[in-house]
Amino acid sequence: MAVALRQPGWYRGALGALLGAAFGFGLVVALRAISGLDVFQTEQTGYPHVIVPLITTPFGFLFGFGAFDYWFRWAAGKPTVPEDHANHGATRWQDYFKFNTDHKVIGIQYVVTTFGFFLIGGLLALLIRAELAQPGTQIVDANVYNGLFSTHAVVMIFLFIIPMFAGIANYVLPLMIGAPDMAFPRLNALSFWLLPIAGIIFLGSFLAPGGAFDAGWTGYAPLSAGAPLGQSFFNIGVQFAGASSIATALNFLVTIITMRAPGMNLWRMPLLVWANLSTSLLVVGATPFIAGAQFMVLFERALGMNFFQFLEGGDVISYQHIFWFYSHPAVYIMMLPGFGIISEIISTHSRKPVFGYRLMALALIGIVVLSYSVWAHHMFVAGMFDWLRVPIMITTLLIAVPTGIKIFSWLGTMFYGKIHTYSTSMLFALGFIVTFLIGGISGVMVGMVPLDIHMSDTYFIVAHIHFVLFGGSVFTIFAGIYHWFPKMTGRMYDEKLGRVHFWGTMIGTWGTFVPQHWIGLDGMPRRVADYASQYGDWNLVISVFAFILGTVQLVFVYNMIVSWRFGPKAGNNPWRANSIEWQVSSPPPVFNFDQIPRVVGGPYEYGTPGARHAIMGDEDELELPEPKPSTVAGPA
Amino acid sequence: MESASLPVGHAGEHEHHGPPDFHRSARIDQTVLGILIFILSEIMLFASFFAAYFFIRVVVSPDSWPPAGVELPVLIAGINTVILVSSSFTVHYALEAIKHNNHRGLRLGLGMTWLLGATFLFIQLNEYVHIGFSARDGAFGSIFYGLTGLHGAHVFVGLLLLTFANIRAWRGHFGPEQKNHLGVEVPGIYWHFVDIMWIVVFVTIYVI
Ligand code: HEM
Ligand SMILES: [Cu+2]
Repeated sequence: MAVALRQPGWYRGALGALLGAAFGFGLVVALRAISGLDVFQTEQTGYPHVIVPLITTPFGFLFGFGAFDYWFRWAAGKPTVPEDHANHGATRWQDYFKFNTDHKVIGIQYVVTTFGFFLIGGLLALLIRAELAQPGTQIVDANVYNGLFSTHAVVMIFLFIIPMFAGIANYVLPLMIGAPDMAFPRLNALSFWLLPIAGIIFLGSFLAPGGAFDAGWTGYAPLSAGAPLGQSFFNIGVQFAGASSIATALNFLVTIITMRAPGMNLWRMPLLVWANLSTSLLVVGATPFIAGAQFMVLFERALGMNFFQFLEGGDVISYQHIFWFYSHPAVYIMMLPGFGIISEIISTHSRKPVFGYRLMALALIGIVVLSYSVWAHHMFVAGMFDWLRVPIMITTLLIAVPTGIKIFSWLGTMFYGKIHTYSTSMLFALGFIVTFLIGGISGVMVGMVPLDIHMSDTYFIVAHIHFVLFGGSVFTIFAGIYHWFPKMTGRMYDEKLGRVHFWGTMIGTWGTFVPQHWIGLDGMPRRVADYASQYGDWNLVISVFAFILGTVQLVFVYNMIVSWRFGPKAGNNPWRANSIEWQVSSPPPVFNFDQIPRVVGGPYEYGTPGARHAIMGDEDELELPEPKPSTVAGPA
Repeated sequence: MESASLPVGHAGEHEHHGPPDFHRSARIDQTVLGILIFILSEIMLFASFFAAYFFIRVVVSPDSWPPAGVELPVLIAGINTVILVSSSFTVHYALEAIKHNNHRGLRLGLGMTWLLGATFLFIQLNEYVHIGFSARDGAFGSIFYGLTGLHGAHVFVGLLLLTFANIRAWRGHFGPEQKNHLGVEVPGIYWHFVDIMWIVVFVTIYVI
């Protein structure tokens, strides 16, 4: 036992968590004693005895778990062992429960964990739909309902979509650019372990007196400043999730900039790499704004500060500006990696180069730039400056242009292509295009001030966000998982079950979210537990489809688990794709490559005989046909 | 870490060899690039607080700023600014010294920087004690403590990094090649950022 407590791992982690909690609690007691306050009295919303340990406990755990061992040795001036790869690779399932520094292990940790959060968030959604199936209150009261939709959104956004994309990219991106690992493997592992922590904090808020945080995923102040204790769990959890995504984005940026294989210039990078480059730029630039906003709300709640209190000279609207300056870019953080996935899949399964490859990359950059200029379209009815409305409307409509470019380019890629739909990933990619298109169009509608005044805060918005987030992000996530499942596990999934899953998801999504447009236009407000009985019929229909949608996800879970264990062996390159990750074994060796591959052409030169993207280190170069000059991209 | 007793054949092949060296596709050092990107996101964190400042001061536009009866100690803060800015020069000196393999200069520069930074933080805390209003006193108090406190926290982190650098400098761990003095260069870059940020905070809070 004593040995176990000295070694990094779960025992030491648990001890660290205990010590962290004790430290936080003691700190509050001591500070209160020094400043002559009642040692144990808890203010109405402050609860310092809870929120300070809520911050210190995770750090205690991480110390114990071994996240900081290396950095501590460095800080103390001890000689640091150069990376000995002791924490690398996984040979047993237990290795997935360690502070593992291998990007492939971390990728799988991410995908599995965040998928677990997807199921939890899905259960919350079904509870919401059960309550809304009929007018009146049946299952939960209005307060619990508010907690349900808030936690549902927060779990889905911060613990599923954003980190799931980070997880998929963690696995495939270093392979795609021919790097043996990410630039900062320890930081990478730390980013992952911050996520379950954030999850426990968010879900733990259900245990707080007053219930889970219930001011929506947007947590508008001053409402959130006066809400019960659960809101502080949101403020703190967001910091952990945000730190995780900033650290990952930093890691991606450094990896992409400094670790590309020889010959892989910018115009030979697969679009998934471009997409993650753009997303990471959004994350490092915008995520600090939600951190700042939540810090300020936390300070208001815990320390009695006044940033947003009108009577104290604060500005009531400013929270919304700061929040949306993060959260509009955030909706693209939740979409751009998906765009990248779709480009890979469409091109591979149409056996054609991506149409307008460079324009696709530039459109991504255009979206990044424009994203920072449209935040106030969420505030058209908030009472903000009048003069800001029209400029924001214009930029909002402009941002649909690069988005449209992407859609047309996918269509152009498929045009006259040899489209293969034998893979569920391609089905999801096609389903994504049609579904996301509707979401994009409804986005343009609500982007217009006069329409938005009518539709803001109605179910129309709920329909919009689910068409872009479910039909957009979640479809691309499924597409990506099906696409790279053979690479990650070395086995094939069951294609029949995949089809059942796809059609169930497609029908479920449309059935659930299409009618929401209509009842929204009719005036049914969002975020309310009860509604006028005239909307009853449609809501019943919506709830039925929502339960179909929920149930069919079990098919996916079954398919993944059983195929991972018993599926037929997949081989290195089941889709006959060109990019580098498919040229290594499935799953790839511990260090990805024996020798770094050499990139000799664009990534999508399907249909050009003899065209190569990369030459792997172990190939005898002399026997290879001379690669044709690239049609997609020459050396830049 | 190749083990000397590898069995012959392929048996030892999979576990024990390390990864191949990655191909450097950019000349910049990874850690330096990393800290620069990190600083970018730090700037945005400050920007969110400056946004709050902008709304409280410009959009709400109170009758007087600072509120009547509040006197900010501009002179002391100005002196403090000089102290912090000069520490940017000392840390630069330290870096130049180690580039020329001058270990005494390195220790002197890092030590001076640390002392100047600590002095800054001490004066700042002292100012908090004597300033006469708290973070709860209206939006002005909140944004004053919010911005200076956020900056103070960054000085504290910078000082921690400099402490580590000092320890290693005294143990003689650094050398003239870049990969051997990243432990000075990277905290140094961060420290410059903390300094420049202070000038912005000082001007917005105390001067205008
Ligand atoms: C063509 C591109 C898009 C346009 C023009 C657009 C426009 C808008 C507008 C104007 C609103 C505010 C409506 C209101 O609250 O009154 C909105 C809300 C929202 N959009 Fe989009 N959008 C687009 C794409 C996306 C994408 C790609 C995503 C995410 C993947 C997304 C996610 C959201 C979310 C989550 C909200 C609701 C925020 C809330 O809870 O209030 N949108 N969109
Ligand atoms: Cu938006």
